[in-house]
Amino acid sequence: MRYITTIGDQEYLVEILDEHHVLIEGRPIEVDFSEISDQPVYSLLLDGNSYEGYVYPTDKTWQVLLHGRLYPALVEDERERRLRAAAGSQVQESGEYYLKAPMPGLVVAIPVVEGQPVKKGDVLIVLESMKMQNELKSPRDGLAARLRVKPGDSVVQHQTILSVI
Amino acid sequence: MFQKVLIANRGEIAVRIIRACRELGIETVAVYSEADRQALHVRYADQAYLLGPAPSRDSYLRGEKIIEIAHKSGASAIHPGYGFLAERADFAQACIDEGLAFIGPKPSSIAAMGDKAVARATVSSAGVPVVPGTEGQGSLGDDDLLALAPQVGFPLLIKASAGGGGKGMREVRSMEEMPGLIHSARREAEAAFGDGNVYLEKLVEAARHIEIQVLADQLGDTIYLGERECSLQRRHQKLLEESPSPFIDDDEDLRSRMGQVAVRAAQSVGYLNAGTIEFLVDKDKNFYFLEMNTRLQVEHPVTEMVTGVDIVKEQIRIARGRPMRYTQDHIHLNGWAIECRINAEDPYNDFLPSTGQITHILMPTGPGVRIDTGVYPGFEISPYYDSLISKVIVWGETRAEAILRMRRALEEYKLVGVRTNIPFHQNLMDSFRFFGGQFDTRFIEERFSMEPATNSRAYNPEVAAILATLVAHRQTRLAANIVQRGARDTSNWKWLGRWERLQR
Repeated sequence: MRYITTIGDQEYLVEILDEHHVLIEGRPIEVDFSEISDQPVYSLLLDGNSYEGYVYPTDKTWQVLLHGRLYPALVEDERERRLRAAAGSQVQESGEYYLKAPMPGLVVAIPVVEGQPVKKGDVLIVLESMKMQNELKSPRDGLAARLRVKPGDSVVQHQTILSVI
Repeated sequence: MFQKVLIANRGEIAVRIIRACRELGIETVAVYSEADRQALHVRYADQAYLLGPAPSRDSYLRGEKIIEIAHKSGASAIHPGYGFLAERADFAQACIDEGLAFIGPKPSSIAAMGDKAVARATVSSAGVPVVPGTEGQGSLGDDDLLALAPQVGFPLLIKASAGGGGKGMREVRSMEEMPGLIHSARREAEAAFGDGNVYLEKLVEAARHIEIQVLADQLGDTIYLGERECSLQRRHQKLLEESPSPFIDDDEDLRSRMGQVAVRAAQSVGYLNAGTIEFLVDKDKNFYFLEMNTRLQVEHPVTEMVTGVDIVKEQIRIARGRPMRYTQDHIHLNGWAIECRINAEDPYNDFLPSTGQITHILMPTGPGVRIDTGVYPGFEISPYYDSLISKVIVWGETRAEAILRMRRALEEYKLVGVRTNIPFHQNLMDSFRFFGGQFDTRFIEERFSMEPATNSRAYNPEVAAILATLVAHRQTRLAANIVQRGARDTSNWKWLGRWERLQR
């Protein structure tokens, strides 16, 4: 089974041959892979080198914690990848972007007004949480729209705050 | 003498204080908010009482309620920890008025050090150097500022009186630049804070933030416990502290001069119990008083590791009216200690706080590693309080050994559920400038990058990719087995037995 696994902007071609053999970028590696008790902890022996990692799923990616570092990994087989390539590209730039609260908090300030043009990186809202003021920024150029909150409001996690159209 | 102490705090510091009390055979009373019913400090204490709803003002900041609980529970002393009520002179006074011992300084010392202008005036009249400047001289006109500039000396900073966050701040190198920069600083301050007042302060170049821990008992003895290097900060939040400071290193003369000045500053306000004098130190080893923290500090463990003094136990001893167990001659720094603050913050996303449940956590142990924490598997990181998950403190015979040990400890640290700044600390441990002690207070914000050090042993995306793929592959196969019921070649009972084994 062939997979394309993406970490950051780096792609890795991983082919699983059988229980104990994997090709990475065409290089054969001997693998021993074992789940530890009922935790998402895996012990991995690669050509005799020992690694221990936590692996757990989130929305679309797998989170891999290895030597203290977290790697979000997107694992796709060839079919999934073709589907995504076909569907992907068109929607992204034109669709409405919903800014959602990444955590619960209190709205401190909204430096934009309805209909204001914004650039990528502009601050859309200042949210206070855990005694820190956090600036949430626009991921792309567009117009600020559909402001659903005002300063002083409390928001819950994932609540939609405003849109960039 | 008291036999029961109420800890008016939460999280790791409440646990730290409970541990000291337990070792001293003193009973403990915890207080908690509705969000903290299951917190470690509640479970570790001998008694626990509810304060109110989660927001601090409805719980941990309710001084009257805390005093009421102290009376009800029979506690005769209150330890405030850090934050919350720790530096509130009115609360310290209320405790005393109610016949309770406040494990900390006198209310008058808290008040004197709490007001920046008063603190500067008090310590400078005791002969303690302060950063030259015009702060506290009221609102000055442009002509006054121009006249005072040569006295302050160049380079200097124009700072907004209402300021913060660098808004309305200008660096001035010469007299010629002054008029123009005063105007632009005022404009920016006016826009940002609605107040165009500015003051001048000498620019301390390549400044380091170094602080001295002091202890003072009721018998009149005041000692210093060496320094802590706290220059590694981001937006004025300390991230890593060490003791000794690599900048002072073996300069015993500078260390004892700073220590003696710190003692003098503490004595100028009749200081009692544990406190910290913060200094700015420039590249020529001139040092200036910045402020005094009139409480136990987050980073106190690094001092404990190199001096062997248990600061919290000493605080309790002092509050009981006993002499300290140490005089200045007893205090020697042995080896090197480093503390990393592990926060629920995403270093790849502008250090945005991360909330949620810690689903799995395994903290480092082994030789020379100390962990102070208030979390456990299943703990919920809530948005109500600060983002500190734990403090990892290591001790080494030398600084190099401490760094290598910290690197090892951070690799062992496993936490799932919320984002943490562990990768930030790992990058720092891999940084040559950090290793060489070549950093100042601007280092993190101006010269440090979160780009992974690709030469690091801890950076291994290829292995991560293989691991993710194997786990995903296993899951896909498992799902396929469950879906394709008709294709099974064995009996349903056998299949169920296998399936259950897989789920275990």
